[in-house]
Amino acid sequence: MNKREKLFGRMKGLLFILLILSGTVLLAGRIDALGITPARASVDFVSGVEKMIGFNVINTDGKDMNLVVYASGELNKSIFIFENMISMGADEETKQISYNIKMPADLSPGMHSADIVVLEVPKEGGGIGAVVGVIAQLNVYVPYPGKYAEAEMHISGAEQEGIVQFVIPVVSRGDVDLVSVHANVDIYNSIGEKVDSFNTLEVSASKEKRGEIVHNWKADVPAGVYSAKATVIYDGETLKLEKSFNVGEMILDLQQIEVRDFKLGEIAKFEMLVENKWGEEIKGVYTLMNVFNKEGEVMAEFKSPTENIPGFEKKVLVSYWDTGGVKKGTYDSSVYLIYGQKSAQKDLQLKVSDDMIEIVGFGYVISSKKLFGDRDLLIKVLVIGIVVLAVMNIAWFVFLRKRLFRGKELKRGRIAN
Amino acid sequence: MADEISKWMKRIDFIVVALSLIIVVWLVGYGAPLVIAPQDDLETTSTAVLFEFSNADKILLDDNLEFSSPEEIYAKDNLVINLKPGVYYWKVVGFEESEIRELTIKSEVGLKLQESDDGKYEVVNAGNVGLDVEIFNKGTFVGKTVLEPEESSLEKGDKFVGGENE
Repeated sequence: MNKREKLFGRMKGLLFILLILSGTVLLAGRIDALGITPARASVDFVSGVEKMIGFNVINTDGKDMNLVVYASGELNKSIFIFENMISMGADEETKQISYNIKMPADLSPGMHSADIVVLEVPKEGGGIGAVVGVIAQLNVYVPYPGKYAEAEMHISGAEQEGIVQFVIPVVSRGDVDLVSVHANVDIYNSIGEKVDSFNTLEVSASKEKRGEIVHNWKADVPAGVYSAKATVIYDGETLKLEKSFNVGEMILDLQQIEVRDFKLGEIAKFEMLVENKWGEEIKGVYTLMNVFNKEGEVMAEFKSPTENIPGFEKKVLVSYWDTGGVKKGTYDSSVYLIYGQKSAQKDLQLKVSDDMIEIVGFGYVISSKKLFGDRDLLIKVLVIGIVVLAVMNIAWFVFLRKRLFRGKELKRGRIAN
Repeated sequence: MADEISKWMKRIDFIVVALSLIIVVWLVGYGAPLVIAPQDDLETTSTAVLFEFSNADKILLDDNLEFSSPEEIYAKDNLVINLKPGVYYWKVVGFEESEIRELTIKSEVGLKLQESDDGKYEVVNAGNVGLDVEIFNKGTFVGKTVLEPEESSLEKGDKFVGGENE
């Protein structure tokens, strides 16, 4: 093969790669996007009333677009869209679309809806070959006769002995306001035993203003998963809600490490006692141990088999270190207790002798972040400022003023005499 | 002479009281939280909101003006908080509380299609709410996919329409 053929071959290869790359870029680059905001509008039903509502179309890609707008869904016949065909220029970031809803004369109680669909009209010879569309929803709420409540329950988990906050927002969906709404909440543990129960304070709710039941419950229970069953009682009617929540964290504690019957050069058996402080079984727990040489490099890494540890129980996790070639001395080491997405680290030293490995110190890695330093400084400045002011005022009005006044009076008396 | 002394004393009284008042006003101003951003009544579709303030170490955030169940976020100066669409009221607390500001995260439905080489489309939720995406092929409804914000899935079809899910 002469030089020219070699060069030609290389150029062919390069051309082939360029073709593939450009094809990939062209294919990968074909994107189409569309957006609207807000995604949803809500109105209260008033028989026969007409109302204008708007939303914005977002030109996500910043390109020229033709859009078609139409209504679908249950109330589509009640919707009148002012412009069904819309053009957007590349320089237009958003465009407002307005429509009217003429509420029917009669609708059954509850929520009724319509979808305003915005579709991008595909361009001839351009675009990606598929149509992209987005929906702006309209919800019309028809009040129930009399009193009717809708509620949901939010629970913020807490540490053991900490405070769990229960928040129950209540919305009035009836044609009469809710004067007195409260909840009775029962707390159950994971095996279905009732562990506590409480009643909340009363709130009121109207169509214009929702009510919010808030109760702080002291989690005087073991760590674990709990469920709350709430009965919301409003003016003689009831509503049931249920939600689960956590108390405490999934925490495993490495309590002890032992190496028995050890001889240098043989395999050392590390027995690590781990306690599950969580009320539920923690699955997939294992330990990983790193031993470092004098240069701080990892000279050995060994881990235990994976185990499941039942709630509030202890288990020994065993791992093995082949000490062949290891010399007597003290080695830094880190033990990782790994479970789920969590990992707890403990730093220690291994004092290796001929017939013993002594585990020295459980050094915890603690990071403390001082959040309140500036606030302390601020309080100091304010306190010092106020003290200085108080001293200045007391000094003047109680002592200096009187003394000065007395001195002037005496001087005046002497002059008079 | 007595009148002169009295006048002189009153002048000093006035200076002491005025000076005290000035210092008190300055101290109150120094201790008051300074709220910079977001500005009051801000409306945005961005769910990541930068809170900028000083002289405070806690942000209180709630969906009502009474702050009946506020979310308490401990922070120093600036912090970006990810919020769901909705109307929020917020204030910062330090030595004293700041003014209450209103913030609206507007819901946004965003749908992005990217052509892949096997004739399918990568359907991406580019908005800030969960989406139900209806998939059509040759005018027929062929299925639906549910996407959380920034989530994507590979689908086959020629029309994709997304709306907020519950």
